[in-house]
Amino acid sequence: MATTNSEPVLTKEYFLNLGPQHPSTHGVLRVLLKLDGEYIVEADPIIGYGHRGHEKMAENRTYKQFMPNPSRVDYLSGFLYNHGYVLAVEKLMGLEVPERAKYIRVICSELNRISSHLLWFGTFLMDLGAFTPFLYCFDDREVILDLLDYITGSRLTYCYCRIGGVAKDIDDQFIEGTLNFIKRLRSRWTDYHNLVTKNVIFIHRVKDIGIIDKNIALKYGVTGPNLRGCGVPYDVRKAEPYEIYEEVDFEIPVGEKGDIWDRYMVRLNEMEQSCRIIEQAIKKLPRGPVKASGVPVKIEPPKGEVYFPFESARGEAAFFIVSDGTEYPYRIRIRVPSFSNLQALTEVLPGTLVADTIAILGSIDIVVPEIDR
Amino acid sequence: MGVERSMPLDLLSKTIENKVPEAKINETDHSKTGCFLEVVVPVAKITDTAEAMYDELYYLEAITGLDFTDGFQVLYHFNKFETRDRVVVRLMVGKGEKVPTISCIYSAALWHEREVHDFFGIEFEGSPDMRPLLMPEDVDFHPLLKDFGKVNAYHRMDEIYGDDK
Amino acid sequence: MEHILSNELGRLIVGLIVVLIFSQLNALFLVWLERKVAGHIQLRIGPKEVGPYGLLQTIVDGLKLVGKELITPKRADRILFIIAPVLVFVPVLVPFIVLPFSKSLPLNDMNVGLLVIFSFSTINVLAILIGGWGSNNKYALLGAIRSVAQNIAYEIPLLLSVLSVVLMTKTLQMSKIVQAQGSYWFFLIQPIAALTYFICATAETNRAPFDIPEAESELVAGFHTEFSGMRFGLFFLAEYTNVFVVCAVATTLFLGGWQGPFGFSLGIPGIIWFLAKTYLLVFVIMWFRWTFPRLRFDQLISFSWKVLIPLALANLIITAGVIKLI
Repeated sequence: MATTNSEPVLTKEYFLNLGPQHPSTHGVLRVLLKLDGEYIVEADPIIGYGHRGHEKMAENRTYKQFMPNPSRVDYLSGFLYNHGYVLAVEKLMGLEVPERAKYIRVICSELNRISSHLLWFGTFLMDLGAFTPFLYCFDDREVILDLLDYITGSRLTYCYCRIGGVAKDIDDQFIEGTLNFIKRLRSRWTDYHNLVTKNVIFIHRVKDIGIIDKNIALKYGVTGPNLRGCGVPYDVRKAEPYEIYEEVDFEIPVGEKGDIWDRYMVRLNEMEQSCRIIEQAIKKLPRGPVKASGVPVKIEPPKGEVYFPFESARGEAAFFIVSDGTEYPYRIRIRVPSFSNLQALTEVLPGTLVADTIAILGSIDIVVPEIDR
Repeated sequence: MGVERSMPLDLLSKTIENKVPEAKINETDHSKTGCFLEVVVPVAKITDTAEAMYDELYYLEAITGLDFTDGFQVLYHFNKFETRDRVVVRLMVGKGEKVPTISCIYSAALWHEREVHDFFGIEFEGSPDMRPLLMPEDVDFHPLLKDFGKVNAYHRMDEIYGDDK
Repeated sequence: MEHILSNELGRLIVGLIVVLIFSQLNALFLVWLERKVAGHIQLRIGPKEVGPYGLLQTIVDGLKLVGKELITPKRADRILFIIAPVLVFVPVLVPFIVLPFSKSLPLNDMNVGLLVIFSFSTINVLAILIGGWGSNNKYALLGAIRSVAQNIAYEIPLLLSVLSVVLMTKTLQMSKIVQAQGSYWFFLIQPIAALTYFICATAETNRAPFDIPEAESELVAGFHTEFSGMRFGLFFLAEYTNVFVVCAVATTLFLGGWQGPFGFSLGIPGIIWFLAKTYLLVFVIMWFRWTFPRLRFDQLISFSWKVLIPLALANLIITAGVIKLI
């Protein structure tokens, strides 16, 4: 990586606004770049353009009325947030959920995780200038959206989990479709690897670039595939298993250095692990009710607070709920992984080229509305 | 959910006690609150506490503000990558009181502090950057304060947490 | 140059009109082709609504561009801003005068044909620089700077690889170069030159994976960020005409021009051979675009200086040596 300390004569640093309207900032993110030629001297991400005030909304809605909100926090992994919120409330209430509901939730969550990763794969490569993988991924992703649409009734912002279970049972058609999708996705790996992973240009663009090492991760609280890329096997699904993650067998893919390549490989492998989880969950899927009996109509958790972390597609997300014993939460705080991940950019970007900036920005997989909440 | 704490408890407690003798350290029930340890420190000692956490390789998950009639609470959630070990550091902040920044120790804290400042108007002393983060530059209100907009409840701390804090 | 002005002039005027029409139609066709190729590569079918197989789609799009408002940014350098699209489009027409579509069809078979093509294709860079500079936009300027650096870097190996052919044929006249390939095409004995030429040609036309001057994910639209309406249309047309020109030159230099393989024309007219080969190469360039990610700026430059130039130079020296020995 080139350095900028030689101080050539008669050059001037200048500012470049990357965004808020820019093809590569995926949403309304603005990065104020201080440039020396094409080298970044300073990067200052400016956020808040998509701030909707979910945390304030939560205080004026009952626990049930807040249900549609979490999936709008991060619209690409909406199910995971929906799931996480319901789990947090259940933990606060000490509610036990029927086994079948747990399995169904996990199957849907992992499908959603795959769809989120597929979308990342496409957009990341589009940032690198390869347009075609984007459409391949969307073609695959469409199947997931159709599957989830079939059982939840929505394509993107799901509200399928209920406090104490799920809205309705799944059927054979969904299970068959899911298994077919997994088969299809596995046959697509070869295509993806031939088209992208083995491409020399791609390799040169991503190796040794944008290194997020363990130190940066610790200072900034980077989690998810970005953290696992540098070799730390931290995954909430393993660290603090919720639902049935303790009962299924899966691995945490890790990288070595924490460069873009590692993050890329981690995400690809994670999709395969998600497939494994789904397969096992479907195999073990028990019969029974999908909604706990005796869930009160009025959700009034006892006084107290709970911090509930879960693994979203981008890292450790969490709901922190303070209850005052009424049906309105006293405070809901949403910990979003992209918030911390994006902040680490201020340290990673300086010294790289404009083209790398785009690649790094794409590789950390941010969803801007998630950061803004 | 049978999650066991996988690290000997007293190690962290000792580090914190060495640095901040005033700290009140309680064990909490992870299956209920999601945290193993609750540390209550005086506002002025948060920097020392953060240093202790950083020495023990904890990362900062989130900084959360809470508004009560008798003051604010600022909660720092810490966790570890290697072991499951969530710790919450609780500050009781009086209205109008300033909190020392920990952004010099945890870079992540900078944005979190800016966010808390946005929402609650709590000032962080010594922070290099206190521009509004999520709110527009020109707002003069703090939306998550309990006297802003429609409010359902505005409690004293002891109404939720009991009398012991 | 035995023919003197009288009938030559008439031929030129008619020719120029034909060239204008052909280049426009060709660009429109290439845009349609690109969208079709892209579509089929990407599991889509591309345009299909307007006309048979969507053939009229680009004409409609062109009409839309003509109907659009021409916006000139307030702080732009007005003269440069207006002149740039014209300057980028006119030079790409000139090579058509000397391109040997068939044995009898070069408009003017000058003895310096090759030189004319390359000297005019260089003006393209100047126009892009003017456009980027005149827009007074940081993204446009960055694109323009990149374009200049890229073109300087790739012009050299391009010319070096062409020189190898010129050394063998000892002429710059397009028709003579074609005739020299009567029994075998030059890419068989000059594979390195052919490859170098083709890579450089892709870079010269700013096409992916070398499209860094207009890298849309980095620089929004690069040097033509601020151009709207038909001004943008001219940049667009110029790009596609340019693609055709470099492929036509490649056909002439390395694929035997209007001749069939190994001298067998198989009863097919020369112009069909020529166009078929050219469009095949155009297809390959499109194929590149929809397959590869974009190179990074510094990688692109160092690839030229550290790989292509030494390669082309070595090839030239060997060619010269072999010719001397024979």
